[in-house]
Amino acid sequence: MSSAWLIRRLLVVLFLAWVVATVVFLALHVVPGDPAELLLSSGGATPDPALVEELRSRLGLDQPLLVQYGAFLVSLFHGDLGTSLIDDYPVVQEIALRLPRTLELVAAGAFLAVMAGVPAGVYAALHRGGRFDRAAASITALLLAVPVFVVGTLLVLLLAQVLRLMPAGGYVPFSQDPLRHLMLLALPAIAIAKGLAAMLFRSTRAAMLDALANDYVRTALAKGLSPLRVIVVHVLRNALNPVITVLGLQMGTLLGGTVLVEYVFNWPGLSTPLLRAVEGRDYPTVVGIVLTISVLFLLINLAVDLLQAALDPRIRA
Amino acid sequence: MSLFRRSVLGAGLAGALLPYPWLTRAAQAQRPSNVLRFGLSAFPPNLQPWVSVGASAGTVKMLIHRSLVTYGSDGELRGELAQSWSRDDAGAWVFKLRQGCQFHNGDPVTADDVKWSIEQIAGEKSTAAMRTQFQDITRVDILDPATIRLVTRTPMVTLPSWFANYNTFILSRKSTAAEPIGAGPFRLVAQERGSSLELSAFDKYYKPGFPKLKGIKFTVYADENLRNAALVSGDMDIIEYVPWPAMSAVEANPRLKLLTQEGPFMDVLFNGTKPPFNDARVRRAVAHAVRREDIVKAVFSGRGKVLEGPPIVEGTPWYDKDLARGWAYDPARAKALLSEAGFPNGFQTTLLATSQYGMHKDTAEIVQQHLAAVGIQCELQLTDWSTRVSRGTRGQYDISIHGVAADNNDPDGLTSLLDTSQPPTHGRSFKVDAPRTVAALAKGRTEFDQAKRVEIYKEMQRAVLEEVPLAGLAWRSQGYGMDKGVAGFVNLPGALTTSSGGMLEETYFG
Repeated sequence: MSSAWLIRRLLVVLFLAWVVATVVFLALHVVPGDPAELLLSSGGATPDPALVEELRSRLGLDQPLLVQYGAFLVSLFHGDLGTSLIDDYPVVQEIALRLPRTLELVAAGAFLAVMAGVPAGVYAALHRGGRFDRAAASITALLLAVPVFVVGTLLVLLLAQVLRLMPAGGYVPFSQDPLRHLMLLALPAIAIAKGLAAMLFRSTRAAMLDALANDYVRTALAKGLSPLRVIVVHVLRNALNPVITVLGLQMGTLLGGTVLVEYVFNWPGLSTPLLRAVEGRDYPTVVGIVLTISVLFLLINLAVDLLQAALDPRIRA
Repeated sequence: MSLFRRSVLGAGLAGALLPYPWLTRAAQAQRPSNVLRFGLSAFPPNLQPWVSVGASAGTVKMLIHRSLVTYGSDGELRGELAQSWSRDDAGAWVFKLRQGCQFHNGDPVTADDVKWSIEQIAGEKSTAAMRTQFQDITRVDILDPATIRLVTRTPMVTLPSWFANYNTFILSRKSTAAEPIGAGPFRLVAQERGSSLELSAFDKYYKPGFPKLKGIKFTVYADENLRNAALVSGDMDIIEYVPWPAMSAVEANPRLKLLTQEGPFMDVLFNGTKPPFNDARVRRAVAHAVRREDIVKAVFSGRGKVLEGPPIVEGTPWYDKDLARGWAYDPARAKALLSEAGFPNGFQTTLLATSQYGMHKDTAEIVQQHLAAVGIQCELQLTDWSTRVSRGTRGQYDISIHGVAADNNDPDGLTSLLDTSQPPTHGRSFKVDAPRTVAALAKGRTEFDQAKRVEIYKEMQRAVLEEVPLAGLAWRSQGYGMDKGVAGFVNLPGALTTSSGGMLEETYFG
């Protein structure tokens, strides 16, 4: 684990980011659909083709694809992701505004999942075959099987429409109204957390069972260490490694998978503009957002590797 | 289907909880702040005053800006920045401006601003929605600071209605592209990109006592069910586009009311450049082959009306009961027409529709079934909206499903949908030959005698029935749902329903 290793990994991240940007850029231009025509056709309008042409040339879309790609790479090199074709808003600012909200949602979901999944997994492993263990097996199966939009819609129906205890969805900045902010965060965070919690439960339980079967556990108990100390220091620490791998991989997936949750709960994160940009063929916005998510995904993987090395000296070798 | 299950589930849950009133939050009565909370269906892509970017943007733009005229609650034109308008002896339109109108920067609205706005819209580099029409204005004369005269290439009976379109506003000539200066009842004070917009009343608005609200907060709910949930839960005072399956529940809710209009409609478009749909008889066969009740029931939960003729709104002078049934469901007739056209055993073809919007996809599936029953076997091609638009404009289809509204309730407002001699767009049949329809539209536009206009447009409808530049399927209901405490809002009749946002100037908490 030298600094050379770290630099090499970072270079790989950069290279992969370039590959992603290029693939997305080219793929978007290959699929049918013209941003200028789509914008002027909003709401099923029938635009005059002359207007569409005018807008195309104003947006630079009449240039050859390679020229557009070259200009894109040059500005990307300068850290500029361009501006939206729809309203000329800088893509970087859009991401700066919305990425923190998506990260907050993912973090809140991951926090809930860890708080629920890991202790439950430990408990189930310690009481293997018990009533809780058996009940949890079917509940996790259910949590994994039910799609997130079903859970989301049911939560809105029950808590917002019928009981009217919670708002139906939306967003208020924390600085403006902290309580309402957290209330609005609760439902989408639960919807995101449910699948991850089930996964963490399962991997924690399995890893705990593996670790519990080790000879050193018996030795530790035999020499008179308290069971709590044995479980926390000797079993859990060894069991955490696979759990962190699952968490790390899933965090990346969550980042790209918040689309449905953000949509169902009207959470103005990064997913809504991505969806709208794909639908409207807003090339710079799509490329900018996908690039950001990919780089984050790669960095999270890197962080997981570093964390694992910190937890398990064997990996450092 | 899932929506149905959902509403049953909702009703069941609500029933079980009724005995426990303390479990449910009390309705939020009149907003003390006098700020209306409006649930929009889409965030305006941008607020450029003259560019067409959809009805949600139109709703907001109509409140920030004003034009010479607008539609009143009865759907008729009424004066705004213009007090009156008439034709002079030479056939030009003369507008008299109202005294005391101000832009948001405090400047008075003058004939110079009107002229400047018209020139910007018609300009060579303009992307304004009304550019093509405005290029017919050959001269703009300022007779005095409050009178302006517009000369058109040919006499133009519908010219005043151009200024009621929500993409035609009068701006101060000090406006820049980044900062348009309007004269509307509200000004934009804040926006959260993608989620919300806040308007606040303009204190120097020229109509005394208006707007009645202190402000409007628009919140975007792209998901229709969530938008409806926000209305039911009391988060919003009013929402647009109430989803069809939820309309009954909104009507039944003692706290809410629903205002609906049948304005927009679904139709079939044809590619007229190749057989078999270059033959009007085949197009007519399609028009007779579809049982529209199925679409109204299955796609719009019964919240619509069959459209078996040219899309003329019932109750207008142009409507004709018999012509409106000109394509009545008649599979035998459809088969006969196919035989006559040389396809006694039918044929194979493709049907293009977008899967992105449920109403398009569901309509396509029903049309596919009914066409199969008369021998036209369609392969369904379901694409995302972008691809649907792109293929439509380039004529890469045989027939396609579309959903649209006319520009207004005058038959001339159907020009963009029926005039197939105009350059192709995805919302119009591709190069279908319909010379009589096109000629009647051109004639109606220049005729000033109302009785003669009615005759011309009856002739146009007969031509449409024969030439089938589109085949109508179903009117669909467009509903605003709101708290019963919201008063003064009107859902404008027919095709004007999407212009109803202008009524928010008169809306108040009663």
